[in-house]
Amino acid sequence: MFESPSGSRVREVRVPGFTHLHTVSGFSLRYGASHPERLAERASERGMDALALTDRDTLAGTVRFAKACAKEGVRPLFGVDLAVEVPGRGRQERRRTPVRGGAFIDESTPRVTFLARDGARGWADLCRLVTASHAGEGTPLLPWADNMADGLTVLLGPASDVGRALAAGRPDRAAKLLAPWREVYGDALRLEAVWHGRKGTGPGSLRLAARTVGFAAEQRIRPVLSNAVRYADPGLGPVADVLDAARRLVPVDATKELDSGEAWLKDEGAMVQAAERVVEAAGFRRDTAHRLLEQTRATAAECLVDPEDDLGIGTVHFPEPHLVGAGRRTAQRALASRAAAGMVLRGYAGKRPYWERMHRELDIIAHHGFASYFLTVTQVVDDVRHMGIRVAARGSGAGSLVNHLLGIAHADPVAHGLLMERFLSKERIALPDIDIDVESARRLEVYRAIIGRFGAERVATVAMPETYRVRHAIRDVGAALSMDPADIDRIAKSFPHIRARDARAALEELPELRQLAGEKERYGRLWELVESLDALPRGVAMHPCGVLLSDASLLSRTPVMPTSGEGLPMAQFDKDDVEDLGLLKLDVLGVRMQSAMAHAVAEVERATGERIDLDAVPDGDPATYQLIRSTETLGCFQIESPGQRDLVGRLQPATFHDLVVDISLFRPGPVAADMVRPFIEARHGRAPVRYPHRDLEGPLKETYGVVVFHEQIIDIVAIMTGCGRGVADQVRRGLSDPESQGRIRTWFAQHAAAEGYDAETIQRTWEIVEAFGSYGFCKAHAVAFAVPTYQSAWLKAHHPAAFYAGLLTHDPGMYPKRLLLADARRRGVPILPLDVNRSAVAHRIELVSESKVWGLRLALSDVHGISEAEAARVADGQPYASLLDFWERARPSRPLAQRLAQVGALDAFGANRRDLQLHLTELHRGARGSGSGGGQLPLAGGRKTAPAGLPDLSSAEKLSAELGVLSMDASRNLMDDHRAFLDELGVVSARRLREARHGETVLVAGAKAATQTPPIRSGKRVIFSTLDDGTGLVDLAFFDDSHDACAHTVFHSWLLLVRGVVQRRGPRSLSVVGAAAWNLAELVELRAEGGLDVVAARLAEPVPEGGGDSTGGRRIQMPTGYELHPWADLRPAGEEPAKVRKLWHQSPGSAG
Amino acid sequence: MTILCVRFQLPPMHEAALPGLLGLLEEFTPVVEALPPDGALADLRGAERYFGRSAVELASVIRVRSLALHGVDCVIGAGPGPMLARLALRDAEPGVTCAVPEDAVAAFLADQPVAALPGVGAATARTLGEYGLDTLGLVAAAPLSTLQRLVGAKAGRELREKANGIDRGRVVPNAVSRSLAAERPFHRDELDADRHRRALLSAAEELGARLRALDKVCGTLTLTVRYADRSSTNRTRTLKEPTAHSAALTKAAYGLYEALGLQRARVRSVTLRAEALGPAEQASYQLAFDPVDEKLRRIEEVADRARAKFGPRAVMPGTLAA
Repeated sequence: MFESPSGSRVREVRVPGFTHLHTVSGFSLRYGASHPERLAERASERGMDALALTDRDTLAGTVRFAKACAKEGVRPLFGVDLAVEVPGRGRQERRRTPVRGGAFIDESTPRVTFLARDGARGWADLCRLVTASHAGEGTPLLPWADNMADGLTVLLGPASDVGRALAAGRPDRAAKLLAPWREVYGDALRLEAVWHGRKGTGPGSLRLAARTVGFAAEQRIRPVLSNAVRYADPGLGPVADVLDAARRLVPVDATKELDSGEAWLKDEGAMVQAAERVVEAAGFRRDTAHRLLEQTRATAAECLVDPEDDLGIGTVHFPEPHLVGAGRRTAQRALASRAAAGMVLRGYAGKRPYWERMHRELDIIAHHGFASYFLTVTQVVDDVRHMGIRVAARGSGAGSLVNHLLGIAHADPVAHGLLMERFLSKERIALPDIDIDVESARRLEVYRAIIGRFGAERVATVAMPETYRVRHAIRDVGAALSMDPADIDRIAKSFPHIRARDARAALEELPELRQLAGEKERYGRLWELVESLDALPRGVAMHPCGVLLSDASLLSRTPVMPTSGEGLPMAQFDKDDVEDLGLLKLDVLGVRMQSAMAHAVAEVERATGERIDLDAVPDGDPATYQLIRSTETLGCFQIESPGQRDLVGRLQPATFHDLVVDISLFRPGPVAADMVRPFIEARHGRAPVRYPHRDLEGPLKETYGVVVFHEQIIDIVAIMTGCGRGVADQVRRGLSDPESQGRIRTWFAQHAAAEGYDAETIQRTWEIVEAFGSYGFCKAHAVAFAVPTYQSAWLKAHHPAAFYAGLLTHDPGMYPKRLLLADARRRGVPILPLDVNRSAVAHRIELVSESKVWGLRLALSDVHGISEAEAARVADGQPYASLLDFWERARPSRPLAQRLAQVGALDAFGANRRDLQLHLTELHRGARGSGSGGGQLPLAGGRKTAPAGLPDLSSAEKLSAELGVLSMDASRNLMDDHRAFLDELGVVSARRLREARHGETVLVAGAKAATQTPPIRSGKRVIFSTLDDGTGLVDLAFFDDSHDACAHTVFHSWLLLVRGVVQRRGPRSLSVVGAAAWNLAELVELRAEGGLDVVAARLAEPVPEGGGDSTGGRRIQMPTGYELHPWADLRPAGEEPAKVRKLWHQSPGSAG
Repeated sequence: MTILCVRFQLPPMHEAALPGLLGLLEEFTPVVEALPPDGALADLRGAERYFGRSAVELASVIRVRSLALHGVDCVIGAGPGPMLARLALRDAEPGVTCAVPEDAVAAFLADQPVAALPGVGAATARTLGEYGLDTLGLVAAAPLSTLQRLVGAKAGRELREKANGIDRGRVVPNAVSRSLAAERPFHRDELDADRHRRALLSAAEELGARLRALDKVCGTLTLTVRYADRSSTNRTRTLKEPTAHSAALTKAAYGLYEALGLQRARVRSVTLRAEALGPAEQASYQLAFDPVDEKLRRIEEVADRARAKFGPRAVMPGTLAA
């Protein structure tokens, strides 16, 4: 210790670079206000050598933090802040349940900071503690029994039980509480002093910090100084207040204690000052501050966890070979023998090219040592198939023959010209990924099977942090600021789904927000706070498809928590972290279309006894391709969107290969680059097929000289430069990066010249490679996609009723169910109403006796608010003889029974629907108290229900009830009711529109089905929408000159009347370019109330003038080179049409 | 055509002005029934002959006087009975008195929504609406047995009579309003239980003072808590004995509040309403051996006198002064 009276000598003892040992990032849900990257960046700017990340209850930020620290040159320390169960703390008295608003969030559990000290052991301890704290019910809490570890340093701060006793002025009690901690952690225990300039003796006060330091000296425990950091920069206190409010679900109360504003990543000078104040207040001399800082530094220096060695970043862990069927052999041997067996099984044994390719692929796999990986996937796929679940591989993995031989991929890669190198090559370092598609409805079953096969210690699902975007940010900030809930809801809903930080820019620039922008000032600090929440995690969900597979060491490398709904083990890391950590991730995607097709096939078999094997349906079925060419492809996998229907109409696919090309062409890149037009011209013989050089005819012939697939680029580069395909794939990957593109260009020119190509050919080829290289689509993907596309179209062509039953049951695709129903009606499938004596839980097919056509019987599961158990009970009890019988045996809840009556499911029991409701109410009243009759059949035999003289539902009320209860207009199309008014207006129906001339101005009307603002080559924002008017679909496009007039109406109305100009691009390609739009529901009401003159007055109202491009020409430059409108490619404002359950109006007398 | 239903357009929280306005009506007829907070029924059967004008003409006179004397506008409906007058009020606006002639009752009623009927609350209206009986015409056409199955025997019979225009009601004079209310709004979402209680204390003090000034006691106390989402909770408690004593009212109000157990509810206002008012001299009072209560009442008496002399803020509980 330096005895020094002068300030300058004190300076000398300062410890270089203060280390913050207690820092949280935004991953501490609704607590930390800064991203880990920002913390690392600020630490580096403020001259710190090391920084700890100790998030609350989670390690999810670790990987991002470690990477950011590596970039900034800061040594990362890893830790966690956990709520710890205190031994002997009795259960608290339960308070009365509030009648409104819910109970307070209990945050009274003491919290303690744990830092990983001892390398891998420390990290494993940390993971174990986090896993243990999430194991129990309710909020994460570390049980005392699990609270022991050798590799950790423990900081007892103001929030710990010891700190609280000190704050309460009870050092005696603090000493007693300290004893168990000292027993477990001994020398690794530290007392943490925090000074946030608060008054009193609470957390953050000078007196508590001083007491802590004094108590530490008395107890001979080393004290450390921290700043309990919640945000990187000063001035973020209000954001912390909002986060506190959002976490506790209460408004910010300015009269209570708010955040001190001091919990930022303070630099060394400020921390030295703090140390001096604290030791002085503790009664020591000012220069003892350096000892406090020295202790802090020493504690940081002890914590040695290396991100590479100890966390395992950059190493790969596969499940042990004996678990994947290798027995005592090496994984590579087992893989080779299984592949060879596959050759024989699939009848390729006599084909030499197959053998050569197989051996080449096996060599590459051996080179990387990935054999276990392939065996693992095979094992999973085999297990899934044994469970009778449809499974298919997707992704570049379909390009590997070995995958095909192992039964992972269906399509034969040699026959389809797919390349292994796109998937895996000696040059490629990244872990390859094989994605498998399973039926969505049975995805969790698959997960459980995988866990069962490999054990819970090797398998975990992957987390997906849900981050703040504008709508949630507005809701949480608005609630914190005590805004009117109705205002909050309205403001949140008017925004498209954009990033929170763009809120004010969107208000300035988006035409549909103009009205809101006018009242912007009223909400004060709302916008600023909304933007400051941008991208902070606000919750964590299970990633919809990733499954981690590892060896038995998984739990010592990854913290695992149960998912909220399903209770599956879930790693806290997200999918990118997992890859960085070298954990093997298998993507098991639940595909709704697979479930829908499985249901359709099962229905056909149930009703007719005919067994369909979809995987064995022969290619080239004329009826299927005729259906596809007619563009009536609603519900077909991948080809149902408006853009795809347009493309299919122009391309007119006739073979499976055409479907593959079609799917590849309909990607943002190719559409934007207008690769579509030359291809279609060449295909229909309107333009000659050209090749840059005759050597390239081989790879380019199948697509008429247009580059469509990644595989073609690989081949072109490989042929022109003579390098291997592995290298060529690396080159292709480099093309999307503008920096490496220049280098590749030189390299390409040199090597192609060396191969003897002339300068002009090289130039032309390079142009193609450069322009299309990064846009193309992986052919292996496209082939994998095209299989279900063909299968679904085949089902639609041959078993339409079953197809729609599958679609409606599993709801795949982009359109609301009511649109699928309208499509079924148009294609002549009879829609049979809901009937408790006939409907099953899922949608069924039924032979309609008079017409001998298969019809579609609506399902009980679509009734709003029906539970699975209720639906099953209703279905099991069929048939029912009378209303009483139904009531007693199916035992529906009263609201459910009422809804069934409203939609006519009980019509068979006589009386009108309102009378039925009255009877149900009385049955309900009678049943109350006396207990239900169980499964006994009623003896009394009144078959028909007596009428009560109530007025029946009117036709409009019935339709409204159907929409409200089933979300579908089941009996007829809802537009039919407005036919007379639409005729008055001179609206052209979708059917008649097909005969309209190009350039003709028309009026169209309908219910909105889907609205999108996809990225467009021109860098403009175009609103695409689809209307359904009962006779067909009308595809609309609104360009930005009409947005001021239309955008708000289009986004926020459900029924639309649109004036526009017909655009024709082919015999089957037709769209309407909108110029003006009105809310049809409003007009219909005006017509009903005030007649045509009122409607005319409404139409005569001036529309806002087009202000041109409000962004001032701002564009986002995409890595692929084209420009994107800043507000394109977003989920637009307003409610999704699928959620609309109400008709435009609801009279007080309407049902429901 | 002889009953008027008047609604004065009072600003909110000014129901104390109602007795004065009732006085205005009593200049025309002694048969006036107050409909707190802002309305009244007046039977003009005698007045028509006395003033030599029809009820509709008298309505204009009443409006003019109300505006001239009190600066308060009013809306007036006229009909053969109290129920029809009330229904007529719904269609009236300032300056336009809506009158239901005796021979056009059925036509007038047919299109009225059921909820407009006095005595049909939100629950009954919802029930009837669910069964498609949303206008009085439909209710009148429905079989009596069905109505009785829907809403009960007595209510069903009455409903049907009313829907058919049979108005058995009479105007019953009742001197002063039957309830008093005190509202305490918060300017933002308030969760703090202490501030809620402070607001209740202040409201109970006010109610007590107003009751004592009127020489009234109240038999029941109702607490209404309004929340940020515009919903509210109501709780009513009958007091052990009718009282105007602030301490007793405060205790009852606290009891009502505690029973809600509010924690995170975003409260925007609390309202206390004293109901079942009766004259103070008829109230019973349980004597006790404990002198505390007696002392409190005496202090209150003194405080009341001090307030009368030096203004309402002269004496108040310590917690409210802070």
